[in-house]
Amino acid sequence: MKWYSYLICCVLIIAGALCGLQLYKEVKAESYVNGSIDISNKFSQESFRYKSTSAVFYHDLYDDTDAYSFQTDLPKTENFDGEKNTYKVMLNDYVLFNAEVNAGSVYADVCIDFYDTQGQIVNSANMSVSVKFLSNKTQLTLATIGNENAQFLEQYFGDNGLRLQIIEIKEEI
Amino acid sequence: MTVLKGIANFCLIVITAFAVLVSIAFVYYHFFVDDTTTGVNNIDNQVGLDIREILKSDELTEEEKDELKDRYFLEVNYFSNDKHNGIQLQELKLNYFTSYRLTSADYRSTGMQYIGGYKGLPLDTWDGNSEVKFLNPFGSNDRYYGTSDTSVKIANDYVDKSFNYYDYTLDVNWNGVTDENGSIATELTRKTEFVIKIDDRAFAIKLDKYVDKDVGDVRNVFGIGWKIGEKYNRYYYTYGSLFQSCMQAVKTNSAGYGDYYITVDLSSLFSIKEYDKETGKYKTDNVTDIIKTYSVLKFHYDENGARSSSQSMFGIIDNNSKYDLVEDKIDTSYWQERITYNLDCNSKLNGKDLFIYRYSDVYGGYFVSLSMDAKKLFAEMPRTKVKVEFTLDAGGERNIVGLDYNALENVELDTLTVKSKYEITFYLLDDSLTDTNLQTLKRSDCVMLDVMENAINGEYSEVVI
Repeated sequence: MKWYSYLICCVLIIAGALCGLQLYKEVKAESYVNGSIDISNKFSQESFRYKSTSAVFYHDLYDDTDAYSFQTDLPKTENFDGEKNTYKVMLNDYVLFNAEVNAGSVYADVCIDFYDTQGQIVNSANMSVSVKFLSNKTQLTLATIGNENAQFLEQYFGDNGLRLQIIEIKEEI
Repeated sequence: MTVLKGIANFCLIVITAFAVLVSIAFVYYHFFVDDTTTGVNNIDNQVGLDIREILKSDELTEEEKDELKDRYFLEVNYFSNDKHNGIQLQELKLNYFTSYRLTSADYRSTGMQYIGGYKGLPLDTWDGNSEVKFLNPFGSNDRYYGTSDTSVKIANDYVDKSFNYYDYTLDVNWNGVTDENGSIATELTRKTEFVIKIDDRAFAIKLDKYVDKDVGDVRNVFGIGWKIGEKYNRYYYTYGSLFQSCMQAVKTNSAGYGDYYITVDLSSLFSIKEYDKETGKYKTDNVTDIIKTYSVLKFHYDENGARSSSQSMFGIIDNNSKYDLVEDKIDTSYWQERITYNLDCNSKLNGKDLFIYRYSDVYGGYFVSLSMDAKKLFAEMPRTKVKVEFTLDAGGERNIVGLDYNALENVELDTLTVKSKYEITFYLLDDSLTDTNLQTLKRSDCVMLDVMENAINGEYSEVVI
């Protein structure tokens, strides 16, 4: 064999090796998958967080009291334990002091005063907040007494939205 | 030596031949074998590309980020009225983009609203072998269309008038459909194309699928029928089909009432074309078969009936943004609201006492003041109305004798109440009530106040209780 034969062989072998590598990559390449949708977190939540643009209070026709309530079921909340942990309850931008945190529930009372343009109180609405952390869901209830209070609260939540959070407070080390 | 050289040359030739074969195989595979995408491509969130950078910002709270991220192709709002306290309301909203740029400036939504339980109308049926029958929901005359191009055009242009349609841009919803004078709204027909985002690429999606069902070519002689072949009826899907399918999915979900997300396969209804950045046009080939479009459907399913337009995802019910079933509606307009805080010695913040105490040998008791954490918190909360009450003879651990220096300074106070059943002097040390804008100071008649000169810098009314 002539010297240039060896050269050609070398070139062909190198080219073959490179093509082989590329071929291997292409053949073994995984199909193009754009990831699967992960909505598992939509069926449970690490901490309680609820937001809505409004809240409508219903009066139960079969209820003799003048109670009006807004109730909704939400995904279950993981790892809530009111006996072991400390929680902060927030409604919109306000921290609710004196919230009663039990093993699997939270209760709090809120009083909102509404003022007219003269600075006079036109309505003072008391509202109770109840969050129950059940095994398969979280149950949120807002309740008040009286149609007028209910309507002012609806107006307030319609204007400001409803954002309720129960946040675990972790001690800084 | 010659033999060895011959063997080496032979090996070299074999290896070279193998290399040539590999090269040929590569060229063939690379240029002549088409890749087949077997994966699933998903319609996940429909968040604008320009929002992603904002989401990385540390300045946003998790809540604000959630709000920005919470945009999906399909949303359903379903008030079942199972409690019979309102009306049954079904709503479907499609969130999409108006251009291939996929930025938040291109956001738009179009929605359908049905009052009652949508059962579906025979609008979707087209007998491909004979005539098309469309039932006019607003008239008594049924309309029949044939299988001509004109008939198909009518089918594709059909807008189901049993729904209210709403468009959404920049936080405002509206219904821009008129029967007589055209429309400035997005009309949902089989020709309507939306731009959606899949894997950060733009796709045009259109509901234009149909299904053929074999109804059998039947002969009938003297009442005896038999099938001699295949005969197909063609069923064209419309947005009514999508609406009905979504409501069915929500109604049958195993989680029940509440706010949840499910993934739905839209590939039987929609065809999809990818936007080609090089040509600036949407590709002509339909990629529905390659890309199976699992889409996230976000829904709210409620046991109640809808009572107010605020419960609609469009803020409108039956084209009325003031819709409300409550008859004795009162005027609820107001200027400001204030959340009232009633604080006392037992109040806690994050599990810790809200008030802190300092013992004074001189006064023989404890001076109380609000903790720094609490002061900081009140400074951050707008428009609070704080009422503080101390009961001095409550039999507690501490004998409170007054407010400490700077005790409530800069906390806006509405009322301070000091109660006692026994004769006692309550001291207000310097700056204890400075800049509190205290309105009322209430005290039992047996409580004597000893107010230092600089304790308070505002006017207040004193009430003996």
